[in-house]
Amino acid sequence: MTPDWILDLLAALMLVVAAVSAARLVVARPWRHGSVIIDSDVAHLLMAIAMAGMLAASLQTLPDTGWEVIFGLMIAWYAFRVVLDARATGVRALAGGHCAPHLVHSAAMLYMFLAMTSSAGAMAGMAGMSGGSSSMLMVSDPTLAFVFALILIGYSIWDIDQLSGRRYSLANARVSLAGVRTSVPAMAGAESAANTAFPGPSRASAVSDASADTATGSGAVDGHPVACDAAAMAGGNVVGGAFGEFLLSPAVTVGSRVTMGVVMTFMLLIAI
Amino acid sequence: MSEVAVAGRPAVWRGWLGTEPRTAAARPDVRRALQLGLAAIWLLDGVLQYQPFMYTKAFGQMLAGTAAGNPSAIARPINWDATLVEHHLVLINTIFATLQLLLGLGIAFRPTVRFALAVSIAWSIGVWWFGEGLGGILNGVASPLNGAPGAVIIYALIAVLLWPADRDLSAPFVAARAVGAHVARALWLVLWLSLAYFALTPDNRAPQALNGMIAGMESGQPGWLSAIDRGAASLVANQGLAASIALAVALAVIAVGVFLPTPVAKAALVLAIVVSLVIWVVGEGFGMILAGGATDPNSGPLLVLLALAYWPFKAVSPSTGAASVLSANAAGELAR
Repeated sequence: MTPDWILDLLAALMLVVAAVSAARLVVARPWRHGSVIIDSDVAHLLMAIAMAGMLAASLQTLPDTGWEVIFGLMIAWYAFRVVLDARATGVRALAGGHCAPHLVHSAAMLYMFLAMTSSAGAMAGMAGMSGGSSSMLMVSDPTLAFVFALILIGYSIWDIDQLSGRRYSLANARVSLAGVRTSVPAMAGAESAANTAFPGPSRASAVSDASADTATGSGAVDGHPVACDAAAMAGGNVVGGAFGEFLLSPAVTVGSRVTMGVVMTFMLLIAI
Repeated sequence: MSEVAVAGRPAVWRGWLGTEPRTAAARPDVRRALQLGLAAIWLLDGVLQYQPFMYTKAFGQMLAGTAAGNPSAIARPINWDATLVEHHLVLINTIFATLQLLLGLGIAFRPTVRFALAVSIAWSIGVWWFGEGLGGILNGVASPLNGAPGAVIIYALIAVLLWPADRDLSAPFVAARAVGAHVARALWLVLWLSLAYFALTPDNRAPQALNGMIAGMESGQPGWLSAIDRGAASLVANQGLAASIALAVALAVIAVGVFLPTPVAKAALVLAIVVSLVIWVVGEGFGMILAGGATDPNSGPLLVLLALAYWPFKAVSPSTGAASVLSANAAGELAR
């Protein structure tokens, strides 16, 4: 059986992701005027806590039903965001957008809670759900688990490629968000933010690129950009200096997403 | 329209991740896309290695089983390796799994792509010997339907063909860029002709050989896949020779297809992709991943990836000077 220490190690890794996401929320100070609520960080925080609880029974926080409701709501939220994104960018919303990966992550989490719960009785329980041995992870429908795993791998590999390329920088680009509707938070796209951070021929061109990417890469509906991973706060609204900037960089968001994607893939495949 | 403005203070955390030429990542080329495909398969391979089954004695026994029928010079190291794995199962399997996982991540991460590809080639050759018994090519059990000539050696072949270097800037397909068109075509020919040969070996052309092989995939699979396997098995029941000949002919056509004019070559590559997918689903049962005992996804997806690497580019148009896919790819690669 897969050794428990590996599962514990991954649970610890998830706690690190949760801590980073929480720190990002604190540093961003979303309660202040002019700040942007980063929904991806909220999602990462919740997913990481849930996954830690699934990997190590001692880290359980909420009952399964509670998590199922939370991930059901997250699916609805990100499905709405993907639809908005798709209206602006078409299929790019699925291939290169930021909302689609979060939608898949949320759906995979809900699937794991539903499928693993249903098999838990037969398997005398599993970690984080019924208090059984973590080595008894098992899903009721391996085909769906495999499909989720393939999609998660695809997004993770794509994110790593983009992370090591130009798209996501370790810089917290500062982008003002004039015209953003308050009903759709987290409007500043990582792509746009990353572009503003890269050295270009001139700052004017960087701004131009950022605007272009906001329109074509992250999407825009009725003149409002729509992307999930906000990396940008209104100027001067970041605490923690350089470390704060680092925490708020798109690379950290995407790095967290890759980490969770790989661990989620692990959980799905060892449960087949 | 939204207004996007950049604050004046330079970012502190730019570093090397943020200072690469825009062209390199802004326009991922076909070769890079295929590298990412290879990375994804390595990642899947690595995660599969963490499965509970791999932490049982059955894993060591499976390794030892590949020694049977091989010459002693090949078999002895396999047995030694299998014994070592059985004695230090948790440690060694975790190292195997982690290494393969890192290979996937390393190929996907641009700065480490060369290193990861190089390590993957060495690792693949090692696993081909110690883990797959050279894919059964010396002991007569190799079959196109069971992953011959060994899925892992196809990893190495793809890594070589997708190596990020441009020996031939006018290469007509991605696989030719690193090694040249002649070498790439020769490798393709050898691989697919060897598969055609294996399809016709006595063990594989026996009346019930294909039927037995496909029916054997049923165990532990989900209902829908079992149904497909049952249907396919009944289709070739007592038709071993005819089915083997048909398969060998298809494989031979694929083998020579890349030497033919572009439209025919494309048709042969489409056939290669279709045959590879049929092999993956029917013959390999998705590498038995859904049954919970897979060490890797087997050869099907790798053969598809390989076929895509041979897909012909659009030709450069000298009269208009229009940028072709080829020239765009070359420019992107040189910028990196």
